[in-house]
Amino acid sequence: MADPATAAAAAADAAEKGGSGGLPQFDVSQWPGQMVWATIIFVVLYLLFSRVFVPAVASTIDAREDKISGDIGDAKRARDKAKAELDAAAGELAAARARAQKVALDAQSDAKAAAAARQAQEEAKLAETLAAAEARIATARAEAMGHVRAIAVETAQAMIARLTGAEADVAEVERALGAAAS
Amino acid sequence: MAAIEPMEQFLVRKVVDLPPIPVPGLGSLDMSITNSVMFMLIAAALISTFFFAAARRQVVPGRLQAVAEMLYNLVDSALTGGIIGDRGRPFLPFVFTLFLLIATLNLIGLAPGGFTVTSQLAVTATLAVLTFGTVLVVGFVRNGLGFFKLFWPSGVHPAMAAFLMVIELISFSVRPLTLAMRLFGNMLGGHVVTYMFASFVIGLGLFGLEGAGLAKLGLLGSAVSFMMIVALMALEFVVAFLQAFVFAALTCVYLNEVVNLDHGH
Repeated sequence: MADPATAAAAAADAAEKGGSGGLPQFDVSQWPGQMVWATIIFVVLYLLFSRVFVPAVASTIDAREDKISGDIGDAKRARDKAKAELDAAAGELAAARARAQKVALDAQSDAKAAAAARQAQEEAKLAETLAAAEARIATARAEAMGHVRAIAVETAQAMIARLTGAEADVAEVERALGAAAS
Repeated sequence: MAAIEPMEQFLVRKVVDLPPIPVPGLGSLDMSITNSVMFMLIAAALISTFFFAAARRQVVPGRLQAVAEMLYNLVDSALTGGIIGDRGRPFLPFVFTLFLLIATLNLIGLAPGGFTVTSQLAVTATLAVLTFGTVLVVGFVRNGLGFFKLFWPSGVHPAMAAFLMVIELISFSVRPLTLAMRLFGNMLGGHVVTYMFASFVIGLGLFGLEGAGLAKLGLLGSAVSFMMIVALMALEFVVAFLQAFVFAALTCVYLNEVVNLDHGH
């Protein structure tokens, strides 16, 4: 069947005879038409793919990847913004808390200082009163002590009068008392 | 009983007779539409229709678009990107076309009544020569005469290198032949074996039905042959896809050698 003439004859009445006896693929008379057609069909398909299909599919895939990465970027930016806001809020909260603490501390120390001042004032007043009282007591005592002498003189006079029956001289008694006391 | 004609399925018959086109100096060219050409046209029409329908530019792909993008990604990541690398993108349409055309022709051959165009040596040889020619053109355009560095082994004594260069040249020039024969052989073999088992189903079955006694074993043989066909058909679907992939992958390997000639393999 490798012989072209036989092959051509076989191809002519192929329907009846079939391809027995050899491979119909080696029938070279059938080659040129198939080869030219195969080339034409391949080139047309290649042009379709290189000009239309592949750019369309590739650009769609690229656009999708761009969109996905863009969306992810947007989401990331939104997250970062939210985080920054959260941080700012937390900072503000901390500052407010610190301020409140400071105010409380100030109030406490003010109250303490006021209390201390009042206490000191009261103490001073008390001390003053005390001092006045002491002074009064001292004068009272001194006065009382003065009276004691006079009482002693009177008592001594009275005792002398009772014992002796004579009126004792005041100056004398005074002298005697001074001698006894010293 | 009909004669067993395993090669009849490969016969090229005319479907539409066209007048031969005279080619100066070579005689005439018969461009008649044969069954082989008709199924090539059908494959091309199927592929184009599918991609016209599938190549929509939607961000969320439909089913067809998802299939088209899956095929694109397969070729992009496994073939041109995986084998050639960053410089592979310009060759993606070529490899994609080759892969889809061969796969479609193989699968049409498996359909009932389909003619297996890829079992025609003329067609596989044409595709192999187109591939080889592309490799040659790309090689010379990219590297100029530096293309011949491809055959010159480095780090070897010059005399040895000259000897190896001859071997390298021979192995390079038989590439279109091996490309063509591999696809042709796989398709031819698969279809002949399937045909033979199919003829066993009928032949042994009739033998078992008509005979008596031990001849009834023919029915068993018929059933086993039928199961073999089922298994073979499953295998043939794998082969149909695999051979298209192998053809495209080898194209990429050959392109890689000439595209990345300047910075090692």
